[in-house]
Amino acid sequence: MQKNKYLLLGSSLAVLVLLLTAAVQENWLNPWRQIQSVGRMDDAAIPVQLRQITNANLRVGDRCVSCHVSMAPGEQSVKGAPIFAPHKPVVHDPVEYGCTVCHGGQGSATNKADAHGDVHFWPEPMIPVRFAQAGCGTCHSALGIPNREAYQRARLTFERLDCMACHRVDNRGGAIRPDGGGMEGPDLSRIGITGYDKGWYGKHLDKSEKTPNGPWKTSFAKIDEQAQESVAVFLSMRTAAPVLMEAKATFHSFGCLGCHRVNGVGGDEGPDLSRAGLKDPGQADFTHVAGSEKLDRWIAEHFRSPGAVVAASQMPPVVASQKEIDQLTLYVLSLRRGELPGTYLPRDRMQATRLGQREFASGGATLFTTFCAGCHGHEGKGKHAPGGTTFPAIASPDFLALVSDQFLTETIRKGRPGRRMPGWAKEGGLKPDEITRVVAHLRELGGGAPMPAADDGWMVASEPQTGTDLFAANCSGCHGAKGEGGKGPALNNRAFLELASDKYLMETVRLGRRGTAMAGFQEPSPTRRALAKPEIESIVAYVRAWQGR
Amino acid sequence: MSTPTLPPPASPLQEFKDNLRAAPRRIYETAFRSGKPSTDRTRSTFIFSNVFLHLHSVRVHRWTLRWSTSMGLGIASTAAFLITLITGILLMFYYKPYPEAAYQSIKDIHFVVPTGRFMRNIHRWAANVMVVTVILHMARAFYTASYRKPREFNWLIGMGLLATTLGLSFTGYLLPWDQLAYWAITIGANIAQSPREVTDALGVTDWFDPGGMQRFLLLGSDNVGPEALIRFYLLHVMILPLVLFALMSVHFWRIRKDGGLARPENADQRLPDPSGAIYPVFTQAPAKTYSLAAIVRGRTAAVGKGPENTVPSMPHLFYAELGVFMLTTLVCLALALISDAPLKELANPSVPENPAKAPWYFLGLQELVSFSAFIGGIGIPMLVLAGLGLIPYLDREESGTGEWFGGSGGRRVVRQALWVGFGAALAIETFAIRFGWIREWYLNTPQLIITILNPGTLLAATYGLYSIWLVKRHRSTRAGALGLFTCFLCGFLVLTVIGTYFRGPNWVFYWSPSDWPRH
Repeated sequence: MQKNKYLLLGSSLAVLVLLLTAAVQENWLNPWRQIQSVGRMDDAAIPVQLRQITNANLRVGDRCVSCHVSMAPGEQSVKGAPIFAPHKPVVHDPVEYGCTVCHGGQGSATNKADAHGDVHFWPEPMIPVRFAQAGCGTCHSALGIPNREAYQRARLTFERLDCMACHRVDNRGGAIRPDGGGMEGPDLSRIGITGYDKGWYGKHLDKSEKTPNGPWKTSFAKIDEQAQESVAVFLSMRTAAPVLMEAKATFHSFGCLGCHRVNGVGGDEGPDLSRAGLKDPGQADFTHVAGSEKLDRWIAEHFRSPGAVVAASQMPPVVASQKEIDQLTLYVLSLRRGELPGTYLPRDRMQATRLGQREFASGGATLFTTFCAGCHGHEGKGKHAPGGTTFPAIASPDFLALVSDQFLTETIRKGRPGRRMPGWAKEGGLKPDEITRVVAHLRELGGGAPMPAADDGWMVASEPQTGTDLFAANCSGCHGAKGEGGKGPALNNRAFLELASDKYLMETVRLGRRGTAMAGFQEPSPTRRALAKPEIESIVAYVRAWQGR
Repeated sequence: MSTPTLPPPASPLQEFKDNLRAAPRRIYETAFRSGKPSTDRTRSTFIFSNVFLHLHSVRVHRWTLRWSTSMGLGIASTAAFLITLITGILLMFYYKPYPEAAYQSIKDIHFVVPTGRFMRNIHRWAANVMVVTVILHMARAFYTASYRKPREFNWLIGMGLLATTLGLSFTGYLLPWDQLAYWAITIGANIAQSPREVTDALGVTDWFDPGGMQRFLLLGSDNVGPEALIRFYLLHVMILPLVLFALMSVHFWRIRKDGGLARPENADQRLPDPSGAIYPVFTQAPAKTYSLAAIVRGRTAAVGKGPENTVPSMPHLFYAELGVFMLTTLVCLALALISDAPLKELANPSVPENPAKAPWYFLGLQELVSFSAFIGGIGIPMLVLAGLGLIPYLDREESGTGEWFGGSGGRRVVRQALWVGFGAALAIETFAIRFGWIREWYLNTPQLIITILNPGTLLAATYGLYSIWLVKRHRSTRAGALGLFTCFLCGFLVLTVIGTYFRGPNWVFYWSPSDWPRH
């Protein structure tokens, strides 16, 4: 019975030790306490206390500032350790907006691993610093972003015209007046948000002509209209997030919206990407992604080999440089549209969601690269993945010479039911005037091929039976025994047959398509003989039979 | 005649000063009216003049204080309950029972409430310790045949305590409102809905749906939502603790009324002589006769017996009880320091956990539910509860009471039953995992056949037949009960371990979570 006494004594002492250990650990060994203990302000130690930024409207309660003390309200200049560096000057004061709205991570946490969010069971880890501008996507939707070519052209124009002699843009350029009067021109880094005088060119010119000398005379000269347009594009994209803008331009060059929806616009073949940047890394399969389990690595690897990263993915690999992959990754990370209270809804987002303004530029070229390039290629030369579908070369001059604008418009509007080509007259598709501009752009791509003469309608009246053998011998190799398509496009598609005139079919067979596997049948090739006109007519009649009329 | 000399009248101020000086002593004396517990009498009054202690008898048999008698498991469960009570009250200061706020408040408790994380860890570990010790305590009571006359009903109270403990743990599971909680409770609620399997098969669910009613009653809604949370919260912090408290009081009171813990008839002879270190019995002649005991019927209390071989509860029993209490606290604290209570992502009804698992003590049931919802959710639990509850009324034998594995068959039966229990459970599980079950062979088998014939019912039947055979062979209900209870524990263990460690997405068997397919 003595044993019970010792049991009581022993376990009581051990409990006391554990309680003290826990008390010390929980109250004094907090990482933020230790970090704050070296901080000094005006050479006096800063008070060691839990600090946080709260914003009820944004539903933010961020304790990040318990370690990053200099970013806490009213404590700009704490000395002591690199962690006390103040925030870079930004438009959105962290004291109001908090940290996690832009950077992600777990605001309620008070230790590094949990706060930065690289832990199990936290779905929104911090956005890596090199992709930091992806955070803007939580609230903003930049509008009217052109494709990469247009962006590059605009940037080069802006630099070639030496605008940065006077203006400062994204921390570059902007000469200081020798007399100490500040910069010559205003800083244009955020001009895309604040807006600018559309008549700037006229005013500049006016001033330049009236001023006898000085920078107005030496640094400004007349520029042509195309350059003016490029400058306008460049200026509209100055939103203090140049990296994100360039990334978005790149995104608008790979035809991603042809299959994916972003904020309500795009195709439905692939998953909706509107919140792809918020994908929970804990729910992603990293089996085929080397390195650490970070979302940006997953996204980047997914671009390179979609089928390996996501089993049974239909997405073709994105053929792009490392820089482009990085940009696409950044853009996808920026797709993190959050719920916002009305007071914090930025103008661009409001314009996009409530007024239906487009996030892509409205020109035919950007529309084409944004929606069509994924399948039909940048220049409309078509694509063929080995073992996969063949996407027609729609910018082929031979093709364009045979089809009317109406054929193109209707094809875009209605698509090819049963094939990969969706109809774009749908909700979340393209507006009629946008389709018109895409068609116009196609004509440009085709090198201004002549429009076909007005179609003279139905003309073939041959017996389909005779075409059967000819089709089997000459066409089925690529178009399939029943015209269901293979290496070549499907011919038994009713939507296609309804649009295609007999003349179109006849001439395509006769002349072929240069630059594709389809050679014209009016000339013999080493492997087959030429076809005579009646033979082609019988083939067309045979093909027509699939239309079922 | 001399008149007694009166003390000189003290000045009122002096009197006040004296009273003030005497106040601490008087407070002590009025609080502990029996004085220092140094004699038998004062040790007794120390107990029965204290409302908190008087559930104890004033003297306790030396047999009771042997560690092997009870292993302190009952006290350990009580200790665990008290620990959860204290830490639970602390957590209630910060917890907000509304879906997203609940999750955020747990995050705050974890990250910023001073020692909040530690308290939550202790709460969680103490809850698990309580479930374990309650089950072990039941096993102890069974194997020492302590449920026998006159303690039959206390065994039933004990089962009520087990059910309440599981209820407390289960209702607490939902409160963090994370993915783990949400889907575990969804699974739990679906288990409650399992009678539907039978009503569906009979095609009467539209008119008679006890399963759906049970689920709705549990959740207060069709899904796990704010209604379920507030319901679980109320049950967890108020109703179930009160129920537990009431049952505990009856449980303890009955132990005292039934003459303390069960001990063998010949306990007195088997005890060694008391060592000199303990207080000798009868340091003074009992001043009180056992007149009250005379009106107590039968074999209860110490009727007809002197208090030989007993020692004063104060301090011997209290050393033992406090020792176990502190040991339990120590275990909970150590576990709390080593391992954090889990908190997964915010509950998200659109992202199901796969596998979604119930709390660990229900995973044996979930394993059975994977064969047949009705059998796992209602059939077998009801059978087990009925069987357990009937044990004291079917086993009316007397030999072996108060002894480990006492009664007919004894250790031999238990050893054999371990083989049978583990063997049958492992064999049936192995077969079902390796070869599948009827549905996999004949796709169109009616559900009723699966409900009647599945690994769960097969296992239960095996155990049942084995124990009937034991009853016949040993001509003793106790032998059958020993076999059945041991088998039940084996089955519980095997099914729970398989459910916990070897079931992955879609409840498929995997040797290790590293083999799980990634989404």
